[in-house]
Amino acid sequence: MNRFDIREHGASILVAALGSSFGVTLVLVTDALSKLLYQNDRTGSSHSVQLVLSFIAYVFIAIAIYVGAVVTANTFATIIAGRTRTIALLRLVGASAASQRRAVAREGLIVGLIGAVLGLGFGIGINAVLLAIAIPALGLPMLAFNYVTITAAVPVVAVVLTTWLASWIGARRVLVVSPMQALGAAEERPLGDASARRGRNAIAATLFVIGTLILLGAVALGVTATPVAILPGVVGGILSFTGVVLGAGVVMPPALRFVGALLGASTPARMAAQNSVRYPERSARTTVGLVIGVTLVTMFVVALQTALSLVDLSRAAQPERYQGTDSIITGMAVIFGCIGGFSAVIAAVGLVNNMSLSVLQRTRELGLLRALGFSVRQVRQLIVAESAQLTVAAVLVGLLLGTFYGWAGAESMMGQLSGGGAVWPAVPPLLIIVVAVAALLLTMLASAGPSRRATRVAPVAALATE
Amino acid sequence: MQTTSPAAQLVARVENLTKSYGIGSNRIDALADITLGLERGKFTAIMGPSGSGKSTLMHVMAGLDTPTSGHAWLSATEITGLDDTQLTLLRRRRVGFVFQSFNLVPTLDTLGNILLPFELDGRKPSIDERAWIDRLIESLGLGDRLRHRPHELSGGQQQRVAIARALGTRPDLVFADEPTGNLDSRSGREVLSLLAAASTDFGQSIAMVTHDSVAASYADRVLFLADGRLTAERGRSTPEEIGSFMLGMERSA
Repeated sequence: MNRFDIREHGASILVAALGSSFGVTLVLVTDALSKLLYQNDRTGSSHSVQLVLSFIAYVFIAIAIYVGAVVTANTFATIIAGRTRTIALLRLVGASAASQRRAVAREGLIVGLIGAVLGLGFGIGINAVLLAIAIPALGLPMLAFNYVTITAAVPVVAVVLTTWLASWIGARRVLVVSPMQALGAAEERPLGDASARRGRNAIAATLFVIGTLILLGAVALGVTATPVAILPGVVGGILSFTGVVLGAGVVMPPALRFVGALLGASTPARMAAQNSVRYPERSARTTVGLVIGVTLVTMFVVALQTALSLVDLSRAAQPERYQGTDSIITGMAVIFGCIGGFSAVIAAVGLVNNMSLSVLQRTRELGLLRALGFSVRQVRQLIVAESAQLTVAAVLVGLLLGTFYGWAGAESMMGQLSGGGAVWPAVPPLLIIVVAVAALLLTMLASAGPSRRATRVAPVAALATE
Repeated sequence: MQTTSPAAQLVARVENLTKSYGIGSNRIDALADITLGLERGKFTAIMGPSGSGKSTLMHVMAGLDTPTSGHAWLSATEITGLDDTQLTLLRRRRVGFVFQSFNLVPTLDTLGNILLPFELDGRKPSIDERAWIDRLIESLGLGDRLRHRPHELSGGQQQRVAIARALGTRPDLVFADEPTGNLDSRSGREVLSLLAAASTDFGQSIAMVTHDSVAASYADRVLFLADGRLTAERGRSTPEEIGSFMLGMERSA
């Protein structure tokens, strides 16, 4: 059996810990906010506000945990690809595929447990620090806040279960490892689930089309009549975006190819372009978390900016009516943007980890390139180009989607302010700058370790028979 | 010994080459003060049992590994002492490789793999070079496989692509490391005939490391290594002669 290797699972534990601490913090902060609202309740509406707050918090927690699960499933799939020969050997001496897969899932359960408990500790700590700093700073009464609540168990348990499930899904490839692969260097076999993939893509396309139609309908409604159009708008947006995420295996490869073509015609750039679509499903899963994060951030920022430009239009007519609206909208967008951006952080961990695993597993191939005359610099360019391609493709798709959803949200809620016509989506240059800098940093981070390791691969590595 | 012939006739030679691993009493000499030369335009087989140092010798001669002491030349260039960048350029322009397995870049098709050494140099083959490559593709029977990826090719076809790539730049010397090790005997014979033909028809210098007597029988000359030393050499020989000589070596060891 495979021993539990902390180095192999470090990234997955980090992802689980990030998801769990994010969830615990949000639950505890929401609890504290509810207490404050209840204390100041003069209208008797605090209960419904609490419900809305909790609902929003759990939606964000669910998104972060979902992104974490996608990242973990991908990491496990990559780890399994690297273990093919060991698994094949165990199969050769009589281990069943199902027992092998269960063993991998057990590792996933351990990863989930360690990460979730670490996250619980961090979450409690972060919340305590936030309370200690924010309450006096904002001049709020120091109430008997809970440092931990029973509801904090919800994200913790959810992270354990989703990590376990993710490892089980990621271990699917175990089933197609043939004992023969222990005997010779065999090519990676395609997973025989083409029909399942087709089914999923059909569902994805349906969700996307229906969701987008509902969303556009909501925009039309919002522009002409009523702010209530935001409700069908939200439903349409969720359906439409779920379609994109489910169909990432179809959406991302063309985006990756497009970015690959932008990288130039140098040999390392062109080989990198081909490497990143070598396993389209794997690349799609690597990038989809980042797409989700960037989409959320962009959506909130663009919605804010578009809403502000709608308010401006309306204010020209009625200057006294919109006192203070700007700062409320700005505050909400910044908070939601940051909370949504956390998914991007989790996704970034996955991307960095995926790059290093993929270099580890390509030692012989890199050795071959070195033997054939690839210089150290060209190897480094290859790795940097691969990582740039993943990052840039995810960021571009996220920006496009986020701009659309943000604009649609603003129009469906406040479109009537412009007096019957839609406005263009407002994309603040600062957003583009922040996202571009973040993408650059992520590219550097994701390629630093792997390119150092890749350039150390000796050309002789290609000649080794194992 | 071939070192007595004029150096100009040698495409590669090594002098007093030693490669050791470990220190003190744990020291193992993979190569022990070996001196030999390979003739230009000839197909030379380097034979020996496992651990005889034949692979290490090839690695050093090809600029893949550095010796503990001694010197190695490729044509007139001394390669011992070159830095990594110079060795990289040497491998790219003046040496070709055919490995036992994992010869090809999986993301590139047949033509992409064959043209890879030119790509790495950042240039397109000249008209003359392109004609040469077309001739290779033709003679290796790869014309209808140019758009196939490695995983769509049989082992023998993959090895023929590797040979085309190795010969494409008309390197000083092609190194083949157990090129038939992963092939069935029919594909193996085919690959060996192609290597032999490259030497006789095009004057390509080839050095092949092998422990297979049948493979070595395709060579113009066979060098025998044992314990990091050159123990014997033969001209063209039958598999039986080579096999019985190897058996004799094993017995006396």
